[in-house]
Amino acid sequence: MKLANSFSFRLSVTHIVLFAGSVALIGGVYYWLSVAIPLNAAKNQVRVEAARLAHFYEKNGREALIQQLTARARRPAARKAFHALITPDGKVLSANILGWPKAPARGWVRLEADLYWEGGEDDHEALVLDYALPDGTRLMVGRDIDDIDDREETLKSGAAWILGVTILLGAIGGAFMSVAIGRRIDAVSTAARRVIGGDLSGRVPVFGSGDDFDRLGETLNLMLSRIEELVESVRRVSDNVAHELRTPLARLRADLEDLASVERSLDQQTRLTAAIGEVERLESIFAAILRIARIENRSEQPDVVELDLSAILADAAELYEVSAEEKQIAFSTSIAPGLTVSGDSDLIFQAICNLLDNAIKYTPPGGNVALLAGEAAEYVVITITDSGPGIPASERDRVTERFYRIASTAGAAGAGLGLSLVSAVAARHGSTIVLGDDSPGLRVTWSFRGSGI
Amino acid sequence: MHILLIEDDERVAGHISAGLQEVGHLVDRSADGRDGLFKAAGEQYDVIILDRMLPFVDGLKLLQIIRATGDVTPVLILSALGDVDERVKGLRAGGDDYLAKPFALSELLARVDVLARRQPVTREQVRLVVGDLEIDLLGRVVKRAGRRIDMTSREFRILEYLARNAGRAVTRSMLLENVWDYHFDPQTNIIDQHVSRLRQKLDRDFAQPLLHTVRGTGYVLRADP
Repeated sequence: MKLANSFSFRLSVTHIVLFAGSVALIGGVYYWLSVAIPLNAAKNQVRVEAARLAHFYEKNGREALIQQLTARARRPAARKAFHALITPDGKVLSANILGWPKAPARGWVRLEADLYWEGGEDDHEALVLDYALPDGTRLMVGRDIDDIDDREETLKSGAAWILGVTILLGAIGGAFMSVAIGRRIDAVSTAARRVIGGDLSGRVPVFGSGDDFDRLGETLNLMLSRIEELVESVRRVSDNVAHELRTPLARLRADLEDLASVERSLDQQTRLTAAIGEVERLESIFAAILRIARIENRSEQPDVVELDLSAILADAAELYEVSAEEKQIAFSTSIAPGLTVSGDSDLIFQAICNLLDNAIKYTPPGGNVALLAGEAAEYVVITITDSGPGIPASERDRVTERFYRIASTAGAAGAGLGLSLVSAVAARHGSTIVLGDDSPGLRVTWSFRGSGI
Repeated sequence: MHILLIEDDERVAGHISAGLQEVGHLVDRSADGRDGLFKAAGEQYDVIILDRMLPFVDGLKLLQIIRATGDVTPVLILSALGDVDERVKGLRAGGDDYLAKPFALSELLARVDVLARRQPVTREQVRLVVGDLEIDLLGRVVKRAGRRIDMTSREFRILEYLARNAGRAVTRSMLLENVWDYHFDPQTNIIDQHVSRLRQKLDRDFAQPLLHTVRGTGYVLRADP
């Protein structure tokens, strides 16, 4: 499963984003309440004071302003007052701060204001408005905003930590959530796969908590029970049909054989032989349908045996060598030694025989047929190629249907059940068959993953 | 031969017993498992033909009871269940051969014949002789009229099986089961092609053929024409 495609992964990413977003929002609101609003209030206060002092200067002159400023600095206040008054030629008339920018800033500046008291030194931050009086005198008025500044610093340096921890917590929470949800979803898909694999008794576990997943599981289980009932009833019907039809067929054959055992005219003998031949054909078609149905629907697991696939393939190849030779078809095999799969040797052998039979049947004399088998990654892969007419791409999906015949091969012998049996055997072993183009001809690729059933 | 046929379907049983009688066998019939069990216990038969699904006592159950008493009479199981699993179950229960319904009467007759005259495997044979054909099983050498015939190991095994059952008809599916050890109906003439190869090597240079085709059944290896 691709990580980015996984629902639980996306869920946990969403979880992290939402979680981090909420924390950022709370942090933002706190910043606004504890930093932005007080800072704004301080600015307003300073702005009002500066305007009032400028007005005072115009009315009362420089000396009065200096007195006013000194008095203001001495007055105890929640926010300590700062000021500096500088003449246009750079002479400092009065100041209780230092380190202002040389060039007039004409606006807001933040200065470090060191306060000395009782031998101690305290670093304070001041918010200062750099103001030019009409005669060019520079007036700086400010207030201590150290408490606001501290909070801002703390928030700024804390934000990275908070964000990191938030993402970590979000990831842990998301992981727990996706594991919990993923486990429930996996339980559903495991049950579904068991059913697809032929074990119709597969059910979704229900935990009895009555949550959404339990309700989904219960609904799916009802559906699966219904499917099982239907398949079971189809199987019962087909078994009954088998039983009901095979017995009259056997009787028909018995009667025909009885008739044929008496000396008869050549014409009668020929017709009886033909009739017995037809019965045999019916019986074999019937046996094939039943066999396919049994392979597909068999719910109990057969004895799982580790098979020497190399030996089975060699046997099948040897069985068909003669037939290829008779038709002057070059038949080559390349079977890696020691290949194993688990499953049913008769079924695999028969499926390989059907494939080789088809390959030789449809390949014209002088053509070639190859059987290859080997291991690739964790797959055991059998490939059978021929130089016959192949199967048109549009019909490749349908040739495994029962009785499906390609229009161009309608004349060839067979009932159109060979590939149905092959695909049933492949499905039974949890393996896949792919029909492809070997231009010209057909390439059948049969891959077993790990070990068969 | 004395054969016990335990089959509940009247017409199938009639057909089988008529066929067996025609080739000279003596047939006792049972229509259910209980009666079949009494008959099997009361008399020594050459072969028992046993249907799998029977009223009162199931075929496999019956077979287990017979085997539990130390009776080793060859048993041919008949069943509408042609699955490999079913065959394995039948053979495990003590059956000697398994035939899926429907079957050709000739197939049944051939199998009964081979079952009844099966050689006891106590003494290991090292040499088979059919007419002027000699098969050395240890050296895997085939000679006809003193002349060595080369063959593949598969051809050798086909010949060996035919020779062990010389004089008795052997069907195509019996060959597939015993020579290739796979159980299914091949449905094609693939076995015939192998036999015809063998026949070429065996009979080509000789006036008297040994390997004969039995129409509707299969093949037989036989010295007399």
